[in-house]
Amino acid sequence: MKQHPLCTDCEPEVDVTNLPIPTGLKQEWSAVETRRQFLGRSGKVLGWAALASLFGDAALRGGAIGADAKTPVTSPGKGNLGLPHFAPKAKRAIYLFMSGGPPQIDLLDYKPNLAAQYNKDIPDSVRGNQQLTGMTAGQSRFPIAPSHWAFKQYGQTGTWVSDLLPYTAKMVDDLTIVKSTNTDAINHEPAIMFMNTGNMNPGKPCLGSWLAYGLGSMNDNLPTFIVLQTKTNPKENNQPVSSRLWSSGFLSSEYAGVGLRSGGDPVLYLADPDGIDREVRRRMLDAVEEINRQTQADVGDPETNARIAQYEMAFRMQASVPELTDLSKEPQSTWDLYGPDAKQPGSFAYNCLLARRMAERGVRFTQIYKRGWDVHGDVVGVLPTLCAETDRACYALVTDLKRRGLLDDTLVVWAGEFGRTVYSQGGLSKENYGRDHHPRCFTTWMVGGGVRPGLTYGETDDYSYNVVKDPVHARNFNATILACLGIDHNRLTFDYQGLDQRLTGPQPSTVIKGLLA
Amino acid sequence: MQVVLSQGAIKALPTFVTVRRSEARAFQGIRKVGATILAGVFAFSAGCHRTATVEAGRRVDFNQDVQPILAARCFACHGPDPEMRKAGLRLDLAEYAEKKRQGHPDAIVPGHPERSELIKRIESHDSHYLMPQNPQGEAKPMSDGEIAILREWIKQGAVYRPHWAFEAPARPAVPEVKSHGEWARNAIDKFLLAKMEKAGLQPSPEADKAALIRRVTLDLTGLLPTPEEVRSFEKDSSPNAYEHLVDNLLARPTFGEQRARYWLDYARYADTYGLHYDNSRDIWPYRDYVIRAFNSNKPFDQFATEQIAGDLLPAKDLDPLIASGYVRLGESSNEGGTIAEELKFNIARDRTEAYGATFMGLTVGCAVCHDHKFDPTTQKDFYSLSAFFNNIDEKPFNGDRPVWSPVIRIPRAQNRDAYDRVYAKRAELRGQIRSMRLRERDLVQGWIASHKNAPQGVSTDKLLVRLRLDEGKGDVLHNSAPHASPATFKATMVAPQWGETTWLWPDFRMQSNTRVVLDKSGDFEGNQAFSAGGWFMFRSAPYFAVDEQAGAMISKMDMKQHGRGWDLAVRNGVITVELVNSAPKDVKDKKHRDTKEAFHYPSPQNLTKKELSAYKPPEKKEPKKKKEKKKEEKKPEKKESPDTTPLVAIRVSTVAPLPTDGEWRHILFTYDGSGRAAGVKVYIDGKVAATEVETDTLHGESIRTSAPMQLGWRAPGTNPAKEFRYQDVRLYGRSLAQDEASRLPFEDYVAEIAAKPTSQWSEDQWHVASEYYLNNVDPAFRAAYTQMHALDAQLDQLSSGGDVTQVAWEKPTLAYASVLERGNYAARTERVEANTPHYLPALPAGMPRNRLALAKWTVSPENPLTARVTVNRMWYELFGVGIVETTEDFGIMGQRPSNPELLDWLAVEFRESGWNVKHMYKLMVMSAAYRQTAKSTPEQLKKDPRNLLLSHGPRFRMDAEMLRDIALQSSGLLVNRIGGPSVKPYQPANVWEQVSYPTSDTLIYVQDHGQALYRRSMYTYWKRMASPPNMDAFDAPVRDAVCTRRQRTDTPLQALVTMNDVQWIEAARALAERVIHEAGPKPQDRIDRMSEILLSRDPSPKTLAVLENSLGQMQKHYASDKKAAHALVHEGESKPAGSTPEPELASWTMIANEMLNLDETLNK
Repeated sequence: MKQHPLCTDCEPEVDVTNLPIPTGLKQEWSAVETRRQFLGRSGKVLGWAALASLFGDAALRGGAIGADAKTPVTSPGKGNLGLPHFAPKAKRAIYLFMSGGPPQIDLLDYKPNLAAQYNKDIPDSVRGNQQLTGMTAGQSRFPIAPSHWAFKQYGQTGTWVSDLLPYTAKMVDDLTIVKSTNTDAINHEPAIMFMNTGNMNPGKPCLGSWLAYGLGSMNDNLPTFIVLQTKTNPKENNQPVSSRLWSSGFLSSEYAGVGLRSGGDPVLYLADPDGIDREVRRRMLDAVEEINRQTQADVGDPETNARIAQYEMAFRMQASVPELTDLSKEPQSTWDLYGPDAKQPGSFAYNCLLARRMAERGVRFTQIYKRGWDVHGDVVGVLPTLCAETDRACYALVTDLKRRGLLDDTLVVWAGEFGRTVYSQGGLSKENYGRDHHPRCFTTWMVGGGVRPGLTYGETDDYSYNVVKDPVHARNFNATILACLGIDHNRLTFDYQGLDQRLTGPQPSTVIKGLLA
Repeated sequence: MQVVLSQGAIKALPTFVTVRRSEARAFQGIRKVGATILAGVFAFSAGCHRTATVEAGRRVDFNQDVQPILAARCFACHGPDPEMRKAGLRLDLAEYAEKKRQGHPDAIVPGHPERSELIKRIESHDSHYLMPQNPQGEAKPMSDGEIAILREWIKQGAVYRPHWAFEAPARPAVPEVKSHGEWARNAIDKFLLAKMEKAGLQPSPEADKAALIRRVTLDLTGLLPTPEEVRSFEKDSSPNAYEHLVDNLLARPTFGEQRARYWLDYARYADTYGLHYDNSRDIWPYRDYVIRAFNSNKPFDQFATEQIAGDLLPAKDLDPLIASGYVRLGESSNEGGTIAEELKFNIARDRTEAYGATFMGLTVGCAVCHDHKFDPTTQKDFYSLSAFFNNIDEKPFNGDRPVWSPVIRIPRAQNRDAYDRVYAKRAELRGQIRSMRLRERDLVQGWIASHKNAPQGVSTDKLLVRLRLDEGKGDVLHNSAPHASPATFKATMVAPQWGETTWLWPDFRMQSNTRVVLDKSGDFEGNQAFSAGGWFMFRSAPYFAVDEQAGAMISKMDMKQHGRGWDLAVRNGVITVELVNSAPKDVKDKKHRDTKEAFHYPSPQNLTKKELSAYKPPEKKEPKKKKEKKKEEKKPEKKESPDTTPLVAIRVSTVAPLPTDGEWRHILFTYDGSGRAAGVKVYIDGKVAATEVETDTLHGESIRTSAPMQLGWRAPGTNPAKEFRYQDVRLYGRSLAQDEASRLPFEDYVAEIAAKPTSQWSEDQWHVASEYYLNNVDPAFRAAYTQMHALDAQLDQLSSGGDVTQVAWEKPTLAYASVLERGNYAARTERVEANTPHYLPALPAGMPRNRLALAKWTVSPENPLTARVTVNRMWYELFGVGIVETTEDFGIMGQRPSNPELLDWLAVEFRESGWNVKHMYKLMVMSAAYRQTAKSTPEQLKKDPRNLLLSHGPRFRMDAEMLRDIALQSSGLLVNRIGGPSVKPYQPANVWEQVSYPTSDTLIYVQDHGQALYRRSMYTYWKRMASPPNMDAFDAPVRDAVCTRRQRTDTPLQALVTMNDVQWIEAARALAERVIHEAGPKPQDRIDRMSEILLSRDPSPKTLAVLENSLGQMQKHYASDKKAAHALVHEGESKPAGSTPEPELASWTMIANEMLNLDETLNK
C-alpha cells in the first residue's frame, strides 16, 4: 500500500504491468523502462501521477482505450456532472463547418416553382420585416434568382438533390436533412459565433469545449477536441475564422480545441528541434522529471506532479500525433474513396480522412472548418468549385466511417452559420447571380449515431425564405447534438458570473425529438 | 475519506485520488455559502457540508453568510430582474421580501422561522412545494448547512444589509493577535494572523534570502535577479537589507514594464481590431504611456482619470490624451454587411463592460438585455453608464486602417519642446473655453434677459412644408408649416429609425427602403420661385459618406416624363440642384472629384495618404480579388440606342466636394423663378456655396409634374439615398433672401426656443441655444476658437512624421444612450442621460455629465469599488489569488473576500496614501506573509488547500510573458529597451494565414530579425484573431475583452513550447555559452552558475548529480553525432560566438534546456 502525502486515504498499489491497457501502449511503456535501465538508472517506476495522466481513467477502470476505443469513458473528476445523462447513441462527433453560409436553394432545398418567377420581385408578404444586411439594404429590387442547377430525386427516400452534389446524392438515405434550421444573426461574426458557442458575443465556450468538459477524453495520447482548418481557395470569398470559435471561454483552457495544422508541425511546437532526437529528448525528460520529483518532495506543491505528468503526455504526443497524420499506410481503397484531393495536406478531403483516423483513435470531437461559402456574387462561377471540394469528401467520410463500423456511434454534422437569400444580390442574369445572408432558414444535415437516417425534417415556403413547418433554431440544433451524445443540454452547466451557463444559453431550448433515431 | 486537494491537483491527478469533482464542487459551494461559519472553519470533510450547524450564539452576517445563499439559490426567480420573477416574491431587498403579497403567505417573518413560508418551503419534503426549483421546475434542495443559516438569520430578525461591496470601505482596526505577534511585520500580517488563528493554522518562517530575492525581483520587475544581486543581498546583513532591495526594485524601469504587462490585460490592449479583417491599428503609444505611468508612480486616481477621460483634462503634454486611448482599445469592425448603429452599440457596450470589469469589478454587461439577475444593476443603469462612452467623435466603422480617428500624432523628439509650448497655449485657451462652457447656461440666461442680439426667426411666409422630424417614434410625420395641408405624412415600406443620435433633437434616419412621399407638395412651375432644404447627415457607412449612389435628398421628379421636375441631390461628393423640363437618360454626371476626408481636432488635418491608407497584406500570394466588381462589369449590358431627348434643364452644382466627415450639414437652395441657372443659390450651413453651372437651357419651360415629392429618392424605382438622417426639412414657395438663409440653420430655431421661458427648456434645447450663443453671439468665445484653429495648424506641422495613436475625443453633443429592448440595437425604448448606477453614490455635482465626471466619480472617496478592486488585483498579482478571488466580480454572485477587513484596510490605505501605487506594492511585499517560505506542510494543505489564508508563501507558475522573458534574460539575449512599435519575433509558419481574411493586412506574419527577436514579451505584436501561440499556450488571454485574472493551467502544449520553441532552444544555447564563458571549464561550476542564474541558488547535490549524469549522456551522444550537434547549436538567428566545440556546446545546450524546463524555473 502506498500513501499519497496529501491524501489520508490509502489506495492499492498499482501494478503497471497488469493494467488493462492496449498492447501498443504497454510496448511503449516497456520500451521506456528498458531505456531507463539501459541508461544505467534505477528502474524507477513513473510517478503515479504521471501514470494517471498517461493511461487515464480508462486504463484503471478496465475500459478499453486507444485505437479501438468504443466505450465512452467518464472522464475523471466529472462525477457530479453525472454524465452521460442518458445512454448516448454517439460517443464522438465530427462537425463539418461550412463557414460563410452555403446557399440552401442551390444545394438541398429544392424549389421547383421558382423557375417561373425568374427576376420577379419577392413578394413583400414573404419578405416581411426581415432585417437586411448593409450589402443589399440599398437595393431597390429583390429579384428572385432560381437555382441555376437541376435537381433530381435519389435513393429510396426520393430526396431531391442538386446536380452539384452527386456524391451527397448517393447517401441521402443515410442523412438526416434539416431544411428548417434558423438562427438569430445576419452577419458572419455573430452568426458563426452563435452556431459554435450559442451566443453572438465572444467569450463563451464552443460546442467542442462543452463536450470535452462534459464527457472528457477517451484516449490518452491525443487531445480530446481537435480543430482542422481547410486551406483556403483564393477563388472563394473566405470569411475569417478565429481561434475564439474553438475557445473554451470561461471553462478551463484545457478544454479548448487543439488546432491540427496541415503545414509544418501538426501541433504547434510538436517537433523536436534539429539536433534533438527521441533518445535525447527522453534523456532530457528523465533528468527533468527526477529533479522535479525532488522539488515536489521538498516543496510539497501538488502542481509539480501535474507538471511531471504533462511533460510525459507531451512526449507521447510527439509520437502519437505524427502517427495520426502519417497516411502512408492507408490502403488504396482509401484513396479510391476520398479521391486525389485527399493527398493534399490541408484540403477538405485530407481533413475528412484525418477526421476518420481521429474517430478511430478516440478523439471526442473533431471540427473541420471549410471557408468560402460566402457567395455574394458569382454563385454560378464559385459554387461548383466549393461543391467539388466538399461533396465527395463528405461522402467518403461517411462511407468510410460506416464501413469501419464507426458511424453507429459517431455523429457527423454538416452546417454553416446561416443560409442565403432567394433574391439576387447585385445583378441577376440567367447566367449568374449573387445571394446575400439569410438567417431565417438554412439547410443542414447530420448522420450517424443518434439521428434518424433517411429523414428530411422541416419545410420552408416556396421561396426558401421562411420556415413553414418544424423549425429548428440554432439553439435547438445544438441541444439535439448534445442529446445524441447522451447529454441533457439543460444539465450540462457551468457556474459563471452567477449563472448556470450552458451551450444553449439562458433562453429555453429543446431537443428536436423528431430528428432522433 | 477526507479530501484536501487544490483544484490544480484534481486536474492533475485524475485517477488515483479518490476525490470527485462533486466534492470539489461541494467545496466551492461551501465557500460560496460562507464557509467561515460552518463547523470547523476550513476543515472540509466530504459530507460535512450537509450537517453543518450554526455555532451557538454566533451572529449571522447577512453579507458573508446569507446573501450568498439567497443569491445562488433564490435570486434567479426572486431577484432584481422583474421579467423572471415568480409569485411576485423578491428576496434581494428587505422592503420587498417582507411585503405582503395577496394570496401568498409571508415569505419572511422576522424572528419567526417557523412562520416564514421561505423556511417551510426549503425544509419541505413535498417535491412540488419544495424550494428552490430550477427554471425547469425541478426541485434543487438546499443543504442542511444552508437551511440552518437561513433559519438562524430569520430567527435573529432577518436583518438585511446592503451588499458589502457597495458600501464605502472604512478603515478597520488592526486586530490584536494572540500568538505570533513577533512574526507580524505590518498590519497586513495581523489581519492574516487573526484568520489563521481561527483556522488553527500557523504562519511559516521566512523564506531563505535567495528564494526571497528571486520572488520579489520576479514580482516587481518580471525578471530574475542576477547572481551578483543575489550574492550581495545574501551578504547584506543589515536589518534594512530587504527594504533596500525592494526600494531598488521599485525604482527600476522594469517595474513599470511588469506592472504594465498586467494592466494591458485589464485594459484589453492589442495591436489589431479583432474582427473581420482583423487589421492592424495604431495604438502602441498607449502601452508606453502605461509603462511611464507606473515608473513615475503616477497616482492611481490620476492614472484612471487620464485613461477614462484624458481628452477632457486640461493638459500640458500629450500624455493624458494618449492615455485616453484606453477607451478605444476594444474590438471594432468594418464588416460591410453590418449596420452602423449595430456597430456603434457594440462599441459602446464593449467600453461599458470593460470599464465595469476594470474599475468597478462588476459584470455590468449582464444588464444589456435585462435587469441584472443578481446585482441591482438595472438595464437603465447599464445604458446610462454606456452613455458616457457613446459620445466619442468617431465613425462606427473603423475603415480597416490603422488610423481610425480620432487619433493624435505624437511629435518627434526634436519637435517635442516646441510642440509642448504650443500645446500648452492651446490648453490654456481650451481652459478658457471650458470655463465659459461651464457657465454657458448663465451666459445664455443673461443674453436672453438682455434682449440684445436677440435671435430672429425666419418669416413663415409661404412656408409650405416643415418636417421637423422630431416625433421620436412611429411612422407619422407632422407637417408643422402654418396652415399645413396635409397635416401629416406617413413613412412607408420600412419603418424609420429614431433617436440614434441627437442634433437639434433625437434624429430621424431613413432606412434604405423607407419612403417618405410628400404627395403634391412642391408642385411648381419653372417660373415660380421656391426654396427647399434642411439638416442632413449623409450615410455613415464604411467607406464614403457621400458616394455615387447617394441620390437625392429632396426630389419631385418624373422618370416617365424624361425626368421632369426638380431635386436637391448629393452626387459624386457635390451638391446638385436640378430643375428639369426634359433630359436624356444618359446625362453625364460631373466628373468624380476626390472627396477630401476631413478630420476634427485632435486628428491632424494634414495626414499623409500613406497614413490614411489601409495597410496591405505584406506580400501578395494570391491574385488581387476584384471579383464582384469584375463580374458586374462582365454582365452583358445591351447597348441601347442613345436617348435623343433634348436637355432642357437647369443644373447647378457646388464646386467644392463636401468633406466626408459624417457631420450634420444644413443644405438649402433658393430659386428665384427666373428660369435661369443664375437664379439658383446653394447654401451650406447658412453660407453661400460657390457653384458652377452645368446646364442652363430651361429658359422658363415647365417643370411641373404629377410625380410626388419625396425624401431620399430621386424618383420611384431609382436608387435610394442610403440611410440619410434628416432634421427640420423645409419647403418655401418663395426664394429666401440671403439673410434668411443664413438664419435658417440655427437662429430660426433658437428664436423659437427663446420665445419660451428658459425654465421650460429641455436639455436638448439648452444645448442648441448654448451652441448658438457661444458660436454666434459671444465674441470672446469666437475669438478663442479662431485663435485655437491657428494653434491647431501649428500643432499639425510640428507633429509631422510622428507616430499616430488612437485616442478618445468627446463630441460637443450631449451624452445620451437609448435603452435597448433585449439588447437589440434597433429596438430603442427609453432615452437616458449619462449616469452611474443608481445604487452607488451620485455623480459629482456641477459638472457636465461626461467621461470626466465619470472619472472623478470613479476615484472619489465615496466610491466603494475602485480602491478595493484595484488593491485586490495588486494582491492577486503578488499572491496568486485575490482577497476576492473573482477579481472581475465584486457583485452579489462574486466570491466573498477571504479577509474582508484586510481588503478594506488596504483600500483605505491606498486611497489615503494618495493612491500611491508603489507604496501599496511595497507594503505588500514587505509583509511577513509575502516573505514566508513557499514550502507547505500536509497540515496546511489539508486545512487550507488553496492557501487563501496565506499560512505559507505564494508559489505558482509564472505567466507566459515572464517565462519567455526569463529565458531570454538568463541567456543574455534579452534586449531591454523600453517601448516602441510592437515587434514580431519567431512564430511557427501559418498561424496567421490559417485564420485571416485573405485581404487582411495581418494575413501574413513577417517575422522581424535582429534585436526585435529578443525584446520583452509585452512588446510582441498582438493579433487578436491569432495571439502569439507560445503565449497562448500559457493562458495569455486573446485580449478581446478585459481579463483581470488569467487561468493557470498545466498542459502538454506548454511543455512543447518550452522544450521546442526556437526561442527557447536558442536561449538554451546562449545560456550554455554564457555559463561556459562565465564559469570556466569545470562542469560543476557551470551547473552551479546556471542554477544561480535561473534559481538564484546552488543546485542541491542530487540535482547536480542528475545533471552531471545527463551531461555525460549528452556528451556521449553529440560526440558521436556531430551533425546533430551542429544543427542544435545553430537553432535561431543568433550564432554561437565562442570557440566551444559544437558537440560540447550542444551537450550544454541540452543541460540548459533541462534547467529551463524545471518546475522550479517555471515557478516564481
